[in-house]
Amino acid sequence: MSDSKTTITVWIFALTLLAGLLVLPQLLSYSQREIAVFLIINVLLVVSYRLMTLTGEWSLGHVVIMGVGAYASALFSKRLGVPVPLSMFLGASTAGLTAVVLSFPLFRMKGFYFLIGSFAAGEVIRLIWKYFTFPFGGAKGLNLIPSFPDIGWISFFDPVNYYYLCLIVVSVSLFILYRVERSRFGLTFHALHWQDKLAESVGVNTFRYRMLAFTLASFFAGLSGALYAHYIGTVNPTRFDVEEMVYVLIWAIVGGTATFYGPIVGVVALTIVNDVLLRALGFDTIRPMIYGAVLIASVLFMPDGLESIFPKLKRLMMGRKTEPATKSEAGEIP
Amino acid sequence: MTQPILEVCDLSRNFGGLLAVNQLSFSVIPGTIHGIIGPNGAGKTTTFNVISGFYAPSSGHVTYLGKDISGIRTDRLAEIGLIRTFQGTTLFNEFSVIDNVRLGCHVSAKSGFLSRLLGADRESEAVATKKAEDLLAFFNLSDLRDEEASNLPHGHQRALGMAVALAADPKILLLDEPFTGMNPEETARMMTLTRDIRDRGITVMLVEHDMQAVMGLCDMITVMNFGSLLTEGTPKEVRTNPGVIEAYLGSAHHAS
Amino acid sequence: MSELILQTIVNSIYAASYMSLIAVGLVLIFGVMGVINFAHGELYMAGAYTVVALYSGLNLPFFVAVVVGMVFVGLLGLVMEYAFFRALRDNPLGGLIASIGFLLILQTVAVLGFGVRMAHIRPSTQEKIELFDGVLLTHQRLYVIVAAILLLTALYIFLRKTKFGWAMRACAQDTEAAALQGISLNQITRIAMFIGAGLAGVVGALTAPLVSPTPYMGHSIIVTAFIIIVVGGIGQLEGAVVAAILYAFVHTFVTTFFDGVVADMVGLVLMLLVLVVKPTGLFGANDRV
Repeated sequence: MSDSKTTITVWIFALTLLAGLLVLPQLLSYSQREIAVFLIINVLLVVSYRLMTLTGEWSLGHVVIMGVGAYASALFSKRLGVPVPLSMFLGASTAGLTAVVLSFPLFRMKGFYFLIGSFAAGEVIRLIWKYFTFPFGGAKGLNLIPSFPDIGWISFFDPVNYYYLCLIVVSVSLFILYRVERSRFGLTFHALHWQDKLAESVGVNTFRYRMLAFTLASFFAGLSGALYAHYIGTVNPTRFDVEEMVYVLIWAIVGGTATFYGPIVGVVALTIVNDVLLRALGFDTIRPMIYGAVLIASVLFMPDGLESIFPKLKRLMMGRKTEPATKSEAGEIP
Repeated sequence: MTQPILEVCDLSRNFGGLLAVNQLSFSVIPGTIHGIIGPNGAGKTTTFNVISGFYAPSSGHVTYLGKDISGIRTDRLAEIGLIRTFQGTTLFNEFSVIDNVRLGCHVSAKSGFLSRLLGADRESEAVATKKAEDLLAFFNLSDLRDEEASNLPHGHQRALGMAVALAADPKILLLDEPFTGMNPEETARMMTLTRDIRDRGITVMLVEHDMQAVMGLCDMITVMNFGSLLTEGTPKEVRTNPGVIEAYLGSAHHAS
Repeated sequence: MSELILQTIVNSIYAASYMSLIAVGLVLIFGVMGVINFAHGELYMAGAYTVVALYSGLNLPFFVAVVVGMVFVGLLGLVMEYAFFRALRDNPLGGLIASIGFLLILQTVAVLGFGVRMAHIRPSTQEKIELFDGVLLTHQRLYVIVAAILLLTALYIFLRKTKFGWAMRACAQDTEAAALQGISLNQITRIAMFIGAGLAGVVGALTAPLVSPTPYMGHSIIVTAFIIIVVGGIGQLEGAVVAAILYAFVHTFVTTFFDGVVADMVGLVLMLLVLVVKPTGLFGANDRV
């Protein structure tokens, strides 16, 4: 925590990364630029998901919460005429508020029961979208969602410009999430995960902290949903179904959830594999199969995720012997 | 006589049909080490769990500093200075030693969301870290500051557990079987530590099996049997009480 | 009106039959492995496609296809056990995630082999029974009901009367105690996986002509099965059967008199209520987890 050298390294790394990200769209084709937009949005989604997992609870409703942000932002702008930047914030807030409400039933459960409970809650929300044609548009969902307004001569219809917009929003969000984790909040979230009774005994209101983690995670998931909705212009219940949740799980688990960057590595690596390699090879149909195999393999052989490779590489480069496998954080919960 | 810090009044707790604690009353005087003993199944642990907010009492009540606290959640009790420990080694195993104690400072290091985000909590965090370091020094754990808690030897882990509890600024500290599973040497060290804690002005109440430790340590002892109060007094009074001897012999009989 | 109610009752009994077989299989696997098999719906799907391949494709007799489907899916269960469940025994989340991976693989195989479109299967029989005036039960559905009764009875006898069944129940209660009795854990888990998966397979095979299989048909089944095992108490075999009957009636009646989406919502809300009020399920033990 107090290690200032690590902090400096992190900053240097982050700035280099940012520079690379700024140049990136200039090097890509049009369709790859679109993929880059979605990738940035997904980074926010999976990093916000990780915040939730810090408390030890694995939700299966995170993508639905993203959908809440998307639907809410779309409805605020489309039906009520709220300006899009404001509606995005309101959408994210709606997602956060949904989490506050859901906390009351869901945090009576833990571990496996929470997993199932969050799944059920998510499915109920999806059924509500499906059932109520007004205002949610039923199974077809909403379309013609207003896009982000032009700023001067900058049109956000162009993926490159939208990419930069997302980059700004997501960078700020990640910074906030990072600060939260490095603060006492992060310590308390971890404490809830490993020993909630002990945390309680020194005065931690476990419900409130679980709710805080869930609400923050949901706010940013909702924001990612809003960014998505106003770019693609249409949302429907199927877009936020459990299949999509599975992808978030895969990103998080393949990357590893022990560190902040783990899930980012996961989503970037798998997006490159998925949208660059597989698409180029024409393997679109067998994509889920490869994902499935990767998922099984990573649970079996790489319980700490891709992130565990970096410390190993570092040790190798420094010429030290690799230590025996350390504790697996990603796999053993709940 | 001084006003008791903790008062248990006609406390009962049943599970289904089983009466674990029956009409129990006793009080704890501030600045003392108060032991609760009794043979297996006497209801000590249930009593402990009711006082520390894990169970609500079925009837009766618990008063702390003149305030009825029966059925109040553990974390609320912690906020007002009633801190419990756990049997054995319950720690944040994955945390460093210092982070364990820093988390113990939860209540005194409160801060708002924005101030944490903006780093305005730096001052209160520095205070918490200082407090944690002082506590580590008190428990002779300073050298292990950055070690992962799970790597500590057993005796040190138990001491760390006490340090976490002390970090929460207890007025009264409830110890759940602090000597269980300790060798004589560790027991002696733990006894000294407990006295030092009392000498800091913190009242200690403990539930314990180890008769020898209890007799040597406690200022007052409450003896329970079959969920009820058997007798109460100083170690000397309790030791010579025929009822106590019988209860312990009787239970030894049953066990064999 | 009374006709409609009677017909709905008959439909509910049919639904209860296939739901209880699916849920019991899931509970059996959970009991022994301690893992929720997320791919259970895809095992059901695999059973259905066995019938598509053998009965529709190769013109084998329907019941031959059903039996092959049961055995084939049972073997798939063994593959899962061997490939990852065994290695992830003490890791419920890992097991769950790995089963999600397997689910994706099975779906892709089905898409590659049969396409994403619905496969229509001609019924194996056109016969039906008229139970009351205008209240019908097709033989195709009757098979499912009969199979449920037979298989659940057989399973009950197996679990109560045989050495393996006894071991399996001991294992579900306390893995270590079972191991101490000198029972081979691997053997028990293999049998449980085979039976659990096989039950899903036989349901898929028997209902294939009634539901028009698609590679994604497992989704709604797994949701249903979750609801049932949560309501019944995770790990409770009898609870699963009772909950399946309860859920089948509620769901079928709400679907008939209101709407399918409302019925799904009612089911999920029911499950959430149970989770909130009594997470161990309606028929689970009382103690806290």
